[in-house]
Amino acid sequence: MSVNHLGAMNLQSEPGDSELLRSMLAGDEEALALLYRRRQGSVYRFALQMSGSKPMAEDVTQEVFLFLMREGHVFDPARGSLSAFLLGVARNHVLRRMRVDQFMTPIGNDDDDEAVFVATGTDLRPLDDLARAETIELVRRAVLSLPPKYREVVVLCELQDVSYGEAAEILGCAIGTVRSRLHRARALLLAKLRPAEQIDDESSASLKSARCFA
Amino acid sequence: MNSQRFDEETLTSSLKLLAGEMATLNAPPEIEQKLREAMRARAVVRPFPKRRVGYWVAAGIAAALLIAVSVVALRPRTDKPNQTTARQTDQPAVKEERSVEVPKILEPEPEQEPQKQIARNPVRPGKRRVPHSEVANHVTREIATDFMPLGYVNPTTFQDGGQVVRIELPRSALVNFGLPMNMERYHEKVKADVLIGSDGLAHAIRFVQ
Repeated sequence: MSVNHLGAMNLQSEPGDSELLRSMLAGDEEALALLYRRRQGSVYRFALQMSGSKPMAEDVTQEVFLFLMREGHVFDPARGSLSAFLLGVARNHVLRRMRVDQFMTPIGNDDDDEAVFVATGTDLRPLDDLARAETIELVRRAVLSLPPKYREVVVLCELQDVSYGEAAEILGCAIGTVRSRLHRARALLLAKLRPAEQIDDESSASLKSARCFA
Repeated sequence: MNSQRFDEETLTSSLKLLAGEMATLNAPPEIEQKLREAMRARAVVRPFPKRRVGYWVAAGIAAALLIAVSVVALRPRTDKPNQTTARQTDQPAVKEERSVEVPKILEPEPEQEPQKQIARNPVRPGKRRVPHSEVANHVTREIATDFMPLGYVNPTTFQDGGQVVRIELPRSALVNFGLPMNMERYHEKVKADVLIGSDGLAHAIRFVQ
């Protein structure tokens, strides 16, 4: 009984996304701040994992919430959660930015990428977790090298822990498509990671070349 | 970790590691501040109405341009009927009765606009009226003298309009009006337009070649 009461208290103290959105659209600045603090993390991480660029992730996060302020009335709670809606908007922005950026040659792109992951690994103990950090970096690069339609599935389902149903809603496709893309994406990731590992393993030995030619 | 072969399980655990590493990442606080400022300024709300207004303004300009172009394009078409009418007058008929505007005669006279001409060949107001003889010469390839009065011409005679009647006269009639005549063609006839007033009398004549 008391648990239920606490639950009710929590529900009362923490308004839902739809309620916050309504208040925000009515001009409540605090509702915007609450909603932003609640949802910015997933949007920012999704954009970062999709693009590998911290500035782009920041821009996309800002654009997503600006869009919500402008066009928040188009959100329909019956069609899905606000989180999925925001991730869908973020996906559109990321893909658009990536399409534009593919025609540009960034200066010092590799350095920027490194900077992102140095920042993410600031808590690592350099000696103890070196191997772990290397693996994370390998996987991150492999994910970023996937084609966008496979990358977004991996980011959503594997990194963001979004359910297949929600991912299908965000991507605007069937659940079966999400499953098959994820399967294909994992196969691609394995194919990308295996050669790298083999090169590391066998860089000191001459057996690899003999096996390849066999 | 790198020394292990990547299989499905390793991949899953590696992805979880990556997700765990990035789970604590958040957007910088400056973004929240910018959003708050945008909310206060309501600047983010303006672009869409502006775009709509711009759209309607552009549509209005396009419609105005379309109307202007169509008016210009239709103008030659309204002129065509006049030309065809003029061509129709270029018939080889010896005598033809036409209702025309009172042409210029030798004596100065005030502006007169016969109503019959307006009814038959409507000319748009504001448009320059081309003198009848000029049109006739241009379209029918005829050369005509100016109208010469036959006796006294009262300018008020033509207020009710007039008619031009094509006739043929002996070539010697040219001499009566002081015009030169080719004696070798004295037996031929010459065409002339006689201006007949509303009183039924001939008031002027011009010779046509």
